[in-house]
Amino acid sequence: MDNILNNYKATRNIWRSILYSLPMLLITLVLMSGGDLNFKGHAELYAFTITFIFLNTCFFLMHYKGKTDLYRSVVFIVFAIFLSFSFITNMFEYRGAMTFNQADIIECNVPFCHLVIPMMIVPAALTESIIFPGSILNGFANISTMLVLWGVATIVMGRGFCSWGCFYGGWDDGFSRLIKKPVIKRIDTIWRWMPFAVLFVVVISASLTLVPTYCDWICPFKAVTEFEAVTSAESAIKAVIFFSLFAMLVIILPLLTKKRTQCTSLCPLGALNSLSNKISAFTVKIDTKRCTMCMKCVKTCKLSALTPDDVKAGRASLLCSKCGQCIDTCRQGAIQFSIRGFEAGKLIDLSRNLFIFISFLFMAIFASGSIQNGLSKILTLIIN
Amino acid sequence: MMRYIKYTLGTIWAAIALILILILFPGLRTISEGLSKAPFMKIHPMYTGGEIIDSVKKSNRTIYIHRPVFNGLIKERMLGFVQIDWHGNIPNVINDTIDYNKDTIPDFIINIDTRNNITDLKKISAYVYDCGVSTQTSFGWVIRVNVVNIK
Repeated sequence: MDNILNNYKATRNIWRSILYSLPMLLITLVLMSGGDLNFKGHAELYAFTITFIFLNTCFFLMHYKGKTDLYRSVVFIVFAIFLSFSFITNMFEYRGAMTFNQADIIECNVPFCHLVIPMMIVPAALTESIIFPGSILNGFANISTMLVLWGVATIVMGRGFCSWGCFYGGWDDGFSRLIKKPVIKRIDTIWRWMPFAVLFVVVISASLTLVPTYCDWICPFKAVTEFEAVTSAESAIKAVIFFSLFAMLVIILPLLTKKRTQCTSLCPLGALNSLSNKISAFTVKIDTKRCTMCMKCVKTCKLSALTPDDVKAGRASLLCSKCGQCIDTCRQGAIQFSIRGFEAGKLIDLSRNLFIFISFLFMAIFASGSIQNGLSKILTLIIN
Repeated sequence: MMRYIKYTLGTIWAAIALILILILFPGLRTISEGLSKAPFMKIHPMYTGGEIIDSVKKSNRTIYIHRPVFNGLIKERMLGFVQIDWHGNIPNVINDTIDYNKDTIPDFIINIDTRNNITDLKKISAYVYDCGVSTQTSFGWVIRVNVVNIK
């Protein structure tokens, strides 16, 4: 049964989709299991099996149905929820609380997160050291491993990291999908440049104080991972800021606007990642000959990365996170993933297949550990 | 001609991207170990407490004195801290006299009630400011005393 989908000239041929999904199936099997299929118990076996089937089903459907954002967002949101669940339960097992204290800082036991990266670049260059109390190579979420993961993903996907790799983005992405129509419809596009201002301020302040100021004072995702134990007025103020910003930017505003407001208006790493869109091998292009200027893509973009001017110019802006929502929305099939150097309308299928294979593989392997860990804990509780 | 150069470069770059992702996870440990050897891959002394410059062996514990940390972004700061660690069996009360700058003159006396986490600092040197941190750790006890940079 041949069927031309909205934007992706896909043939709904189950055998083609199976053939396309086969390499993903084999690679995820090997990388998720580490080549060892001996599990410690039933809970681990079931967690592995469920995660493996879930990820590969989403990937298969992405090809078969020709919808990118729908299946990406399912994995992305599940990743965010399980990362937080897995992280917090690990912290309770390890420390007895989801807070860290002075001893954890002095012993450099704080797990590293990619949001620190923009603040550590200038001090690393000038002092030849990292301004974060974590482990360089050993232990959970060590600095070296996280830098490699972020670095490669950002070079390959550009700001695609924000929609395919960031384990926080799924939170506001998820809340932005809960209400069908936005309550707040008009948002000034000036706000989309706000992360660059935040980036500038946190880079300067972190360089002067040698403290990752965004993590120390602002990061809303402290509310769903870990934060400093409340032992003083200062730490109490910080906790209030973390939870207030999480409530406002990750829950309330995404619900009201249907936008990823934390990512659009606050995240300094998002601003840094935007710059890498200039070198990424993949872009989002608009075929101006097919475009009817309906501007549905502009309305639907969760990161406000598209404006009418961008549509007229035939390409997404620097802020595009390649989530694929505009591509799924366009009824004319005018928007497409493209390999850098090719004009809109060229190599549509190849560009899409290659980009989603690369991006999904990164997300699947990165997410699988947290999903398996979280599921294993839940299943252990049920089985026992 | 220019168009075909762009096509070729774009295709090569996309192929490299695919290879990078395919080798990323199997080679993650090796690449991370390689990166960890980079000159900037060490934790700033503000967090580690700086290098240990002296140790004093007591009956059931060892006191480690770190080099005072005044590191700023470009130059040294006026106010920094010195970290003192107690490793081993920590008694209910720690009472030690510390000479952090090795000039043979005591700089401060520290008294810690480790059961109730009460720390009392008696300043001897004019360069000693106050006690910033006093906490139990996995190896024993740590204090960070804020000191003035004499340089």
